[in-house]
Amino acid sequence: MALTKADVVIVGVGAAGGILAAELAKSGMKVVGLERGPRLKTADFEPHDELRYFQRQDLRPNIKRDPVTWRPNSSTRAHPLPVLNNGNQAGGGTVHYGTVSWRMHEDDFRARSQTVARYGADAIPQDSSLVDWPVSYADLEPFYDRAEYELGVSGKAGNLQGKKIDGGNVFETARQREYPLPPLLIDQSGLLFDDAARKLGYHPFSSPRAIVSQPYNGRPGCTYCGFCQSFGCHVGAKSSILVTKLPEADATGNFTLVTGAMCYAVNSDNTGKVTGVSYYGPGGADNTIEAEIVILTTFIYDNVRLLLLSKSDKHPNGLANSSGEVGKHLMAHMMANVFVTFDDRYLNNFMGPSAQKHTIDDFNADNFDHSGMDFIRGAQISIGTPNLEGGPISATTIMPPPGVPRWGAAYRDFLSKYYARHGAMVAQTENLPYADQTIDLDPNVRDVWGLATPRLTYDWRRPNELKRVEFMQAKMEEIGRAMGSPQVWRAPVLPGPPGAHHEGGTRMGSDPKSSVVNRYGQAWDNPNLFVIGSSTFPTMGAGFNPTLTIQALAYMSADAIVNRYKKNPGALL
Amino acid sequence: MTQQDDKRDRRHDETRRAFLVGAALGAATGLVTDAPAQGHDAQTTTGTAPHATASADSHGAFFNDGDAATIAAFTERLWPAAPDRPGATQIGVPNYIDLALAGAYADQQDFYRRGLIQLDAYCVAAHGKPFTRLDAAAQDDVIRALEQGKATGFTWPTAPAFFNTVRTHTMEGLFADPIYGGNVDFAGWRQVGFPGGQPVFTEQDMQSRDAFARAPIVGLHAQAPARRG
Repeated sequence: MALTKADVVIVGVGAAGGILAAELAKSGMKVVGLERGPRLKTADFEPHDELRYFQRQDLRPNIKRDPVTWRPNSSTRAHPLPVLNNGNQAGGGTVHYGTVSWRMHEDDFRARSQTVARYGADAIPQDSSLVDWPVSYADLEPFYDRAEYELGVSGKAGNLQGKKIDGGNVFETARQREYPLPPLLIDQSGLLFDDAARKLGYHPFSSPRAIVSQPYNGRPGCTYCGFCQSFGCHVGAKSSILVTKLPEADATGNFTLVTGAMCYAVNSDNTGKVTGVSYYGPGGADNTIEAEIVILTTFIYDNVRLLLLSKSDKHPNGLANSSGEVGKHLMAHMMANVFVTFDDRYLNNFMGPSAQKHTIDDFNADNFDHSGMDFIRGAQISIGTPNLEGGPISATTIMPPPGVPRWGAAYRDFLSKYYARHGAMVAQTENLPYADQTIDLDPNVRDVWGLATPRLTYDWRRPNELKRVEFMQAKMEEIGRAMGSPQVWRAPVLPGPPGAHHEGGTRMGSDPKSSVVNRYGQAWDNPNLFVIGSSTFPTMGAGFNPTLTIQALAYMSADAIVNRYKKNPGALL
Repeated sequence: MTQQDDKRDRRHDETRRAFLVGAALGAATGLVTDAPAQGHDAQTTTGTAPHATASADSHGAFFNDGDAATIAAFTERLWPAAPDRPGATQIGVPNYIDLALAGAYADQQDFYRRGLIQLDAYCVAAHGKPFTRLDAAAQDDVIRALEQGKATGFTWPTAPAFFNTVRTHTMEGLFADPIYGGNVDFAGWRQVGFPGGQPVFTEQDMQSRDAFARAPIVGLHAQAPARRG
């Protein structure tokens, strides 16, 4: 049994953990990072293999080794989800993600008060736990800026210090400076979408993405190969943690990465202080690390599971859980699809970064008037590929238009004609928080380490969500027709399980009675324990991919630890 | 077909021939070829090749002869040949599934065994003959009954689950890289117009309204040496 000491142990070295590892190590702290999977290199990503990476999910957790179970409600038995979308290696989800990198709008951080002010308290569904964040856009703006510049995000400002700029997102809250890199190239589907959206009076723009459009910080620009979401980048143009923050952490000499390390407990003493973590090594050895600070930056499943597994006499409901809030308010983006095909042209949407290429923000968040609409909040609508991946195997998962079967000669003719002539719109639809959408420990299913698996109890089909999805599908159909597509059709919606971007479970707040952590991710019950990532999001904010906000929060927490916590260890920030 | 289709396929065919020459010289494996391209109409090249590929309808890793014949017949109905285009069998789908069940999908062997037993039991009950001896129209009726959950006698796997899995694996065999035993000679990719793992697309490629025809199809065997230049 190896016993190691460190100033800081970081569990999960992905979108948030990589930033904290680099920033804390730069400040002179001795940092150990634990990572369940391997550390891969850019050269490992050369095979452009849709079967391996998209279909067989090579960069995701193996669902047989690391199952996560789901049930629609608490009266049914949970079964393992067939696909997991989080990462399973150093760099976490940033290795295979689609890179879409948003700043949330100013009013997204106060969704409850905004809704009440504009529509009255009755507009909020009674069973929703919609709240304001304990952090504002102004608090986060410097850290959004830092994330965009240090990691490398390509885009065009739509609101530069209050000046609205056509071609950028005119709905964004004012930014202090332009993106560090110009937008990625538009493709044929983006040209059509842009033109159609403008005709309809909307405000299309190139989605901001953490892919460098030109050489940047020693990395080459994107080659538009198309093997993007689901894949690691074969040239290192994707601004993943692997090629951005891990090299910075390495250079300090203060950072040790332990791969193949499955953390199973955060250890604590009887004063409420955490003392370190225990983990199984790659060969199964049982290890303990003592640390002054423990930071959990795994995906939301394991952030919650680790707290629940780490119960003790002093913390009988799990660590950091005196509020009883651990595991509650699970949220996910419902991804509603509308497809288009063309007879007069090819779209070839296997080209270029594959996720959410071109966007409108007109129907996101509270950017439009919901009066009389019977739902609140919105969705980001974009054009791209089905499943955010453009290869032919991905295309075979599309439900064909009405009248076309899923197999046989008619299907063969459909796919042969339209594979290179189709486009997929997606409305990435916000999910309100509900306290009974939860993560807990499954009493019936264990992973390969013998640990109880995370169990999701969740069904997105609430009245507010169903009405919103219907609205967005109609909007996408309108855009599809304006694009000139003779064939526009909806995909069936999912029958309940969580979609993309899982958030919540260790909610941040201003009150220890109703939240797990404060704005810095610091546990109210255990001030030398931090939980950072989308698990702390009190609301989804918008129909926005969460990664850039996760990264801004990580920078903000790193800044608070380095500049304030270190001077007064153990105190609340 | 449009002129663009023809252009695309001719270009792919030309580049495919060039690539196959290179592959032969380099003794690359896995890219088993059909007959040489036949004149002007690229569409006919693969479909009418006199020498079906070595791996097209072969098996041997997992399926017994009877099961292999059933899977070949079943997948052919899911993606049937046309006069000018190869179907699932010739594209190598049964071979892909056979290899996958002996390897990556070994945990689904019993799913297939039981599914195939139930399939023939249903065919005999409903049509008086096992699947391979039904005509194409009756085979389609059977597959439709599976898809819609109307086929009787299935317990595990259920009829829709069996249909969905075979369909998914058929699509994989059509469109996964040839290194996995299907998509022989990129026949699946050429039918739908996918150029494989291109390392670069240009601004002109991205914004073109035409089919991509600038470069040959790239498969996994070609990628590493191509990058080394």
